[in-house]
Amino acid sequence: MPKVLRSVGRELRTNRYIYLMMLPGLLFLFVFSYMPLSGYLLAFKDYSLQKGIWGSPFAGLKNFQFFFSTRDWLPITLNTIYLNALFILFGMGFAVVLAVLLGEVRRTWLKRLLQSGVFLPYFVSWMVVQQMMYALLASQQGLITQAILALTGKTISFYSTPGYWRPILTLVYVWRFSGYYAVIFIGAVTSIDPAYYESAVIDGASRLQMALRITLPLIRKTVLVMVLMATGRIFYGDTGMLYGLIGDNSLLYATTDVIDTYAYRAMRQTNSFSMSSAITVCQAGMGVLTILLFNWIARRIEPDARLF
Amino acid sequence: MLSSPVHFRRRNAIRTSAGERIYLTVCFLVLACSFVACLLPFYLIIVNSLVPAMDLSRGGFQLWPKTFSLDGYRYVLGNGKVFTNYLVSITVTVCGTALATIVTAMFAYGLAHPRVKYRYRLSFLTYIPMIMGSGLVGFYLLIVSVLHINDTLLALILPYVLSPFNTFIMVSHFRGLPYELTEAAYIDGAHDGFVFFKVVWPMSVIPTVTIMLFYALGYWNDWWLANLFITRTELKPLQILIRNIISRQQMAAIMGSSANFVMQPLTVQLVTVCITIGPILLVYPFVQKYFVQGITVGAVKG
Repeated sequence: MPKVLRSVGRELRTNRYIYLMMLPGLLFLFVFSYMPLSGYLLAFKDYSLQKGIWGSPFAGLKNFQFFFSTRDWLPITLNTIYLNALFILFGMGFAVVLAVLLGEVRRTWLKRLLQSGVFLPYFVSWMVVQQMMYALLASQQGLITQAILALTGKTISFYSTPGYWRPILTLVYVWRFSGYYAVIFIGAVTSIDPAYYESAVIDGASRLQMALRITLPLIRKTVLVMVLMATGRIFYGDTGMLYGLIGDNSLLYATTDVIDTYAYRAMRQTNSFSMSSAITVCQAGMGVLTILLFNWIARRIEPDARLF
Repeated sequence: MLSSPVHFRRRNAIRTSAGERIYLTVCFLVLACSFVACLLPFYLIIVNSLVPAMDLSRGGFQLWPKTFSLDGYRYVLGNGKVFTNYLVSITVTVCGTALATIVTAMFAYGLAHPRVKYRYRLSFLTYIPMIMGSGLVGFYLLIVSVLHINDTLLALILPYVLSPFNTFIMVSHFRGLPYELTEAAYIDGAHDGFVFFKVVWPMSVIPTVTIMLFYALGYWNDWWLANLFITRTELKPLQILIRNIISRQQMAAIMGSSANFVMQPLTVQLVTVCITIGPILLVYPFVQKYFVQGITVGAVKG
């Protein structure tokens, strides 16, 4: 053991300026990424504000029993998986389409213009997206609501009908992120050796054939990396997006409430820190399992797609 | 013989021209529709922020409004309240970006330096939080009851200072630089601090600008931290201002209340959104290429 310590000491001494420069970064990493892990401990405790995380008494599995007895756990887990699956499928799918089609545009200025356009939604916050959504879907004033009224004579109240929200959220996700993923995939498309296309042209291939037989197989790896990475996180809902867009509109929880928003509300609105923590412990447990599973799958089919 | 490839190409071009044309038309249509769909919400917000408040509440959002007025802008900018929030957003963005960029660059340099023995282990530790969350409760209690920085601007700045994604953008750049330069500086008697600040970092302008822009965008667009930790009105950033007005509107929409409750705030709201996304739209054409570069590097190599 002292030998190890001595070698660590020697390493720190020889590279002391480098480690000194890394110190602030390490500090931020430790404080903001690793210290919050102590919150998981609360899942097994009866948290009270006065006693703090360490001082509160242990409560066994009471918090878990309470969470599973509410029967909310199943719908929110299913919502999380279902929404994430829709996001991955349609978000990535459309991004691949965009990347391939943008690769067909020969005029540089046009390509640049189109790419800038579809990439733009990535740059606005969920708060702004929420306002844009409101402009389209508001009950009497929204553009889409007005159009539906004019065409069918019916007023649709989007903000109180949970059934519409899976497609709406999927569309919003595609709108905001397909440009972002397309940028990644375009990077993969441009790194394809042009010789493939040249020989395909000589062999008389059409553009569609080239897209299907050359472009798609050659960007397969990048797409797989992104899909596997996203699937590994299938138990983690995007709080920024879902809480940002849905907020506290309880009428829509049936289809839009995910583990993260549920845990957030448990913490903020009912102040049950311990139960909120129990929920995130369950989530982290399932999350770690899926990550390990998908990492294992990735190692098998595409070693470059593995997470670690 | 020399002309045969040309001959082939031309013959094929004629033969497949119908199918080719259909394919290209479909391509163009899909791209054009996506382009319009991506920009339409921006257009809708901007144009309707210029519609008189009464017309907006009576007629709803319009694709081609007939009446225009600057009253909304005059009201929002005239009453001056919004400048406080604007100042908060600007302060957080500027201070946060400066701090985050320096911390990240120095940290990434260590992770990339071949002489650092623990660089791979430290990289792994940096990477883990990227794929696994650290739990909301622990994070909340950290800010509120350990660091006690809730209701200060520090709560909006510090949590985002070290982003693993941006760290890896810098790491992959530093790894690509020729190590001979560092060695030459060592031979001349420079220590690591000098090497980094005088030799390596000055050669890293583009990735530095890239991560600066990512940080700036993150700080500017954040509302989550403010939602969790800020209760004082004068410390609320622009984004949370939009949120507060929206929640009220949604309540009105849910309860189906009369239009006059929604009317006045709606124009104010749209104007606020416009001045929030204004700076982004203004610089977007010039900075877009840095984001493209950063995403291509960070997403694939990270």
